[in-house]
Amino acid sequence: MNSRSYFVFMQMELKTFPATVDSLDPLRQYVKDVSQQAGLDKKATYNLILAVDEIATNIILYGYEKAGLEGFIDVLTEVSDNRLKVVFEDDAAPFDPTTRELPDEEDFDLPLEERPIGGLGIYLTINGVSEFSYEYINNRNRNIFEVDIKSP
Amino acid sequence: MKVAENIIESIAVIEVEGNIDSKTAPEFEKAALASIKNQGQVIIDLSKVEFLSSAGLRVLLMIYRQIKVQSGKVVLVGVSEEIQEVMSNTGFINFFIIVGTIEEGIQTLKS
Repeated sequence: MNSRSYFVFMQMELKTFPATVDSLDPLRQYVKDVSQQAGLDKKATYNLILAVDEIATNIILYGYEKAGLEGFIDVLTEVSDNRLKVVFEDDAAPFDPTTRELPDEEDFDLPLEERPIGGLGIYLTINGVSEFSYEYINNRNRNIFEVDIKSP
Repeated sequence: MKVAENIIESIAVIEVEGNIDSKTAPEFEKAALASIKNQGQVIIDLSKVEFLSSAGLRVLLMIYRQIKVQSGKVVLVGVSEEIQEVMSNTGFINFFIIVGTIEEGIQTLKS
């Protein structure tokens, strides 16, 4: 481990949540508190909470429950260079949300009764943050949410 | 999350309180679909809803589809600025009438 990544590691706060839908509320509350401490405004905070809720839901329902597994979501947070970074790590099967087909402008123009609903959560995730990325490292899914902190 | 149902001037009024996420959406769906059965018009009061995820949007879509079959309208009351923005970004907003109070909703549906 070089000194830089060690430094980054040391900066990140870790909180662990059981991978059940009962964790969604406390998880959102936790990310809300972190966002407010980081100085995100109300709108940016809401959109980040929505993004983390959507991805946590996917991990809980599809990563763990559907596979008959029990587990945890590790939530790592860090503020640096006017950016808030929230990282989810889990031990479910590899799943890259960014490879899901997203609804596009055309879908949003369709009457509501004809609209395909799949991918809406991922769409809200990607649109809710400045940058969303995924990686699979050391047998763990890592979903990474980054939000620029605008100075008031 | 809590869901309360009323009939006001023969319009189904559903009041939701709390967060609508993938834990609570099934309960919201069940209560809402039961109370709009045989109803042509519905008012959903979201003024005490702070958070609405895509699971909640799906339920609104189901309610809309059911009401649309009866050529009715769905009125949403007290939708927070943040939720309105999400609905706007996803095109959902165009399918609902959004008002500030239940009274306004009733007037809109009666006129």
